[in-house]
Amino acid sequence: MSVGFFPLLSMPSKTLRQALVPLLLVMRIPCCAMAQANQPIDFSNQIRPILSENCFFCHGPDAKQRQSDLRLDVEADAKRTFKAGDAEASELFARITSDDIDERMPPPESNRQLTRQQITLIQRWINEGGTWEQHWAYTRIAKPDVEATHAIDFFVSQKLKQNNLDFSPAADRATLIRRVSLDLTGLPPTLDQLDEFLADRSPEAYENMVDRFLAADAYGERMAWIWLDAARYADTNGYQGDNERTMWPWRDWVIQAYNDNLPFDQFSQWQLAGDLLPDATQAQILATGFNRNHPINGEGGRIPEENRVDYVMDMAETTGTLWLGLTFNCCRCHDHKYDQLTQDDYYSLFAFFDQTPITGEGGNAQSPPVIAIPDQTQQERKSNLENSIAKLIDQRNQLGEPDDNPRFQELEEQLKTEQEKLKSLDRQIPKVMVMADMPEPRKSYRLNRGSYQQPLNEVFARVPEMLPPLPENAKANRLALAQWLFDPSNPLTPRVTVNRLWAQFFGIGIVKTTENLGVQGEPPSHPELLDWLAAEYRDSGWDTKHMIRLIVTSQTYRQSSKTNQRLQELDPENRLLARGSRFRMPSWMIRDHALAASGRLVRAIGGKPVNSYQPSGVWEESSFGNKKYQLGSGDELYRRSIYTFWRRIAAPTIIFDNADRMTCSVTTYRTNTPLHALSTFNDVTFVEASRLMATDVLRLKLSEPESLDLIFKRVVGRPIRPDETQILLAALVRTRNQYCRELESAKSFLEIGESPASGEIETVTLASWTSLCLAVLNLDEALTRQ
Amino acid sequence: MNQHPSIQLHATRREFFGRTANGIGAAALANMLAQTGLALDPGNRPHSGNPGADPTQGARLGGLPGLPHFAPKARRVIALIQNGAPSHADLFDWKPELAKMHGQPVPEHFIAGKRFSTMTGQADGKLMLAPIEPFKQRGRSGAWVSDMLPYTASIADELTFVKGMHTDAVNHAPAISFLLSGAQIPGRPSLGSWMNYGIGSEVEDLPNFIVMTSVSKNTTCGQIFYDFYWGNGFLPSKHQGVKFRGSGDPVLYLSNPSGMSRQMRRDWLDDLAQLNQRQLDDFGDPEIATRIAQYEMAFKMQASVPALIDLSDEPQSVLDMYGPGVEEPGTFAHNCLLARRLAERGVGFTQLMHAGWDQHNSLTTEFYTQCRDTDQASAALVMDLKQRGMLDDTLVIWGGEFGRTPFIQGEFNNRARWGRDHHPYAYTMWMAGAGLKPGLSYGQTDELAMNVVHDPVHIHDFQATILHLLGINHEKLTYRFQGRQFRLTDVHGRVVHELIA
Repeated sequence: MSVGFFPLLSMPSKTLRQALVPLLLVMRIPCCAMAQANQPIDFSNQIRPILSENCFFCHGPDAKQRQSDLRLDVEADAKRTFKAGDAEASELFARITSDDIDERMPPPESNRQLTRQQITLIQRWINEGGTWEQHWAYTRIAKPDVEATHAIDFFVSQKLKQNNLDFSPAADRATLIRRVSLDLTGLPPTLDQLDEFLADRSPEAYENMVDRFLAADAYGERMAWIWLDAARYADTNGYQGDNERTMWPWRDWVIQAYNDNLPFDQFSQWQLAGDLLPDATQAQILATGFNRNHPINGEGGRIPEENRVDYVMDMAETTGTLWLGLTFNCCRCHDHKYDQLTQDDYYSLFAFFDQTPITGEGGNAQSPPVIAIPDQTQQERKSNLENSIAKLIDQRNQLGEPDDNPRFQELEEQLKTEQEKLKSLDRQIPKVMVMADMPEPRKSYRLNRGSYQQPLNEVFARVPEMLPPLPENAKANRLALAQWLFDPSNPLTPRVTVNRLWAQFFGIGIVKTTENLGVQGEPPSHPELLDWLAAEYRDSGWDTKHMIRLIVTSQTYRQSSKTNQRLQELDPENRLLARGSRFRMPSWMIRDHALAASGRLVRAIGGKPVNSYQPSGVWEESSFGNKKYQLGSGDELYRRSIYTFWRRIAAPTIIFDNADRMTCSVTTYRTNTPLHALSTFNDVTFVEASRLMATDVLRLKLSEPESLDLIFKRVVGRPIRPDETQILLAALVRTRNQYCRELESAKSFLEIGESPASGEIETVTLASWTSLCLAVLNLDEALTRQ
Repeated sequence: MNQHPSIQLHATRREFFGRTANGIGAAALANMLAQTGLALDPGNRPHSGNPGADPTQGARLGGLPGLPHFAPKARRVIALIQNGAPSHADLFDWKPELAKMHGQPVPEHFIAGKRFSTMTGQADGKLMLAPIEPFKQRGRSGAWVSDMLPYTASIADELTFVKGMHTDAVNHAPAISFLLSGAQIPGRPSLGSWMNYGIGSEVEDLPNFIVMTSVSKNTTCGQIFYDFYWGNGFLPSKHQGVKFRGSGDPVLYLSNPSGMSRQMRRDWLDDLAQLNQRQLDDFGDPEIATRIAQYEMAFKMQASVPALIDLSDEPQSVLDMYGPGVEEPGTFAHNCLLARRLAERGVGFTQLMHAGWDQHNSLTTEFYTQCRDTDQASAALVMDLKQRGMLDDTLVIWGGEFGRTPFIQGEFNNRARWGRDHHPYAYTMWMAGAGLKPGLSYGQTDELAMNVVHDPVHIHDFQATILHLLGINHEKLTYRFQGRQFRLTDVHGRVVHELIA
């Protein structure tokens, strides 16, 4: 035993504790590791992560990789490696502390090494009895008791107290309404909404304000963006050819479903298997377009079966990520290295989706099965045409002998015309790719290293073995899978989905790794809160608006997002939630926000995607001139970003830090680069929005300070402060002088954008105020939800 | 406070960083700046970005502590990626036996159990096709290069030929993705992203990972430059390659709006910084400091990028070296010259991609155009770097995503439509500079250039070697995603030390 090797270990335990406490306090690590040294070791949060990271690769679930036939991920096997209560007498402890290179675990060639602190934790854990627990995410959800009116605040404040912290004061009301408005609708509050809320002194003012935003149409659009990212939605196939598809009726269905507050279990089940529901409605079938949003590869020389297998894998993996929070894709080629998922599990999940009749051939963007989704006008025209065709056929059939009857010829002509019209109408009606199962089941196989041409054993549709099985009498198809996801016995769906919802409002999940709640995911910062929320979501009948209302009415959410040195050093990521969260808006929201502040945002919902402003030549350059960008016009230019045409090989240039819409992504990107500054400062969208805003404000003929105040209210939702007024007034004088000297510059500046500059306002004045508005739209505060 | 890195970085904005906002410690700010890739390593000087100043000595933005793992041979990489897959049997891999077997069916044992694209389907009975132009041994090294590439042939002694390349993928997009990101499926970080993430940047007013694309005029090639070829994958998106465009602003949104002069922009930036500083004082969020810095960086880029692409300071002799089209934006020659200018400025990873090498039925036609449009400039780049003393620490790589079948695609009696199909089992790439063995031809294929028989170099080996030259242990540059540590070479890769002097 090499105790001497680790000086810390030879200390008396009290000294050790004193030595460790400051160490723990300054470490920039998730708060789960901030547990006090005098609390018993928590196996799930403190020990399993160490074992998983350092040992499971060779002593874990993957049978092929396993060394010495030892598993440390299974209780019975692991317990053979130590003597509970006596670390010094335990093989496990001896091996991780050994001086002997041949004995030492993990071995040097693994590139893994335990820290002294990790060794100490394992030592203490063994000495405390070496209790074993199942990985937290796989355990049944028990709704913890709450001794307070607001459960969220109860759990968060508990944790804060443990860390000698307290809530920050509430943010001021102007900040709050902007925060809620952006979080719930993706748009800033209008001046009316702002005034209404600031004037409302009733005790329910805040709750009522929240309800107004939850009821807004913009809510569905805001929620849908995240879902579209996860569902890898795009308006083209991707790859060579990159043909246009018409999946946008599915996108509109998603927006509508959110606005209708369709319970999340139905929302999910329709999308996964709406076609298999008894007497499936058009909407339920349309919803299954979700599975078909994957890219389609039309590259010459591709082998269709290889494509088809790729698509089915994509469907299975998307489901695994979105509802189960598991990294199933690891098991394409081998058993999982960390979670108890086998390659057989993977292909058994794959088998649910393998029954679709898609072939993988070519780059057809409407490859069957498809459903035609006419809009109302098209539906009416279609019925009319069908009626008139039926009538004509009737008339013709009543004529008797055709040959010598001139009326017959006439009817034939008419019939032909009407049928042509119907055909041409049918071509215009969007076809949405949806799901169906083949009447004759396809056999599915485990594929060697994921290769379509190397089938191994046959597999049958079933859920992963480590999770509760499908009900005994269930037919193992997509519908059963979709229903099983929401079975009370399945602990993953509620945890995974509520965690993602939380991340939307705090910028980071209770489990930071929203895409992975498996063994290698990060443990939750607030495990009880996560379970309470998960249970509440389920018990509420999967009422998404209810959950959002709960979250945003909490004291936790309403805190000011100001920070200070102590909080910054102790908890830079704000995992303990001792302050409100503050983060840059996603790029799509920055654009929508600017359009809304300009007053020009078009609030129509749904429909064909539009081509908004984009530097010329981007599509052309990506496609060797095959795809020509036709800039939209009029209202099309000012619609919300969710309606902007998404070409997979050349995504809209104004969108940055977004999911790439190639595969399912539930991770939020938030970087801060000079390229972003260039786009919000120089893109037509922002320059024109600035001019429109300036025009709107100047028309009111207010004093300069009043105009500035109004601009601030429109953009950052608060009155301007005197020092800010001073800076901007001086800037105005300067800019005006510059434009007086360069009148041509002022003119050309005002010509940017499709809309003509207002003739009412004198050129130099309008140009100066436009450049001012452009600067205000680029304030950190304008780009940030705080 | 005088040691604060941001002061060195943003001398003009000294006042904003001179104060500590709301008591945020310098350490916290520095840490945050490091996370956003802005901080310089302590003790290092920033590089001005001007050619002439020596960017060598150490200044780095971002990067990981402890990297490079060991002294690098290469400080920067220029990758000349030839999309579509140049035919190794026609350019570098001379096989007299193949010439002899011209028109005879491929011997069965060469193709047993092999998978080809659907365009070939079953390879049985396909006829062998001799190289379409003669080969010669070149220079002192005696490396074989076809007459198709006279300029490359003339510098053969500078090049290191890797003749035993092989890959897993059989179609373009997956194979290029494999070459550049180590995985056939899009979504992993590309080489340049890994380098930027691990090593950081020596240049502050230009992106450190730059991509330029080109295609020969009038080619029938329809291959697309997918942005995942320079994608950041799961790395933070600031590590994504920045694509310079062939027309309009080289960087999207680079130019000020018309009617907004540089002076006006400067003035507004100062106002904006003042207003943001108030916000920083009030909220204490270090992200605000980063935002101020990034707007400054954007302003600098607005000057440095136009200076970069302004070739008026290049003497005619240099322009001539790169050949016709060098002054025409969007050509391969132009991009090669820009690559040299980027290297001078300290840019770490420049990725050129030239499409059109997919000779399914154009071996006797477009193949000539491809060679003509890339040969001279590729060779010029190597020699230009050499004459400036930069080849020693610049790695240049040249090649495609796989090879082409030594047997024919198309009708043997229709010479105008001769072609070769995709061939992942063997091909050639060349490398130059960065302490490699010049003149070496490493690896060998069988007598028909069909399979590697000696010293194979798999894509992952190739990648491990590139990282090694950059001072990176490919097994240790990892990023945690979805619960596991990912790396460029997955769980594979061998550094090919035999290539290194």
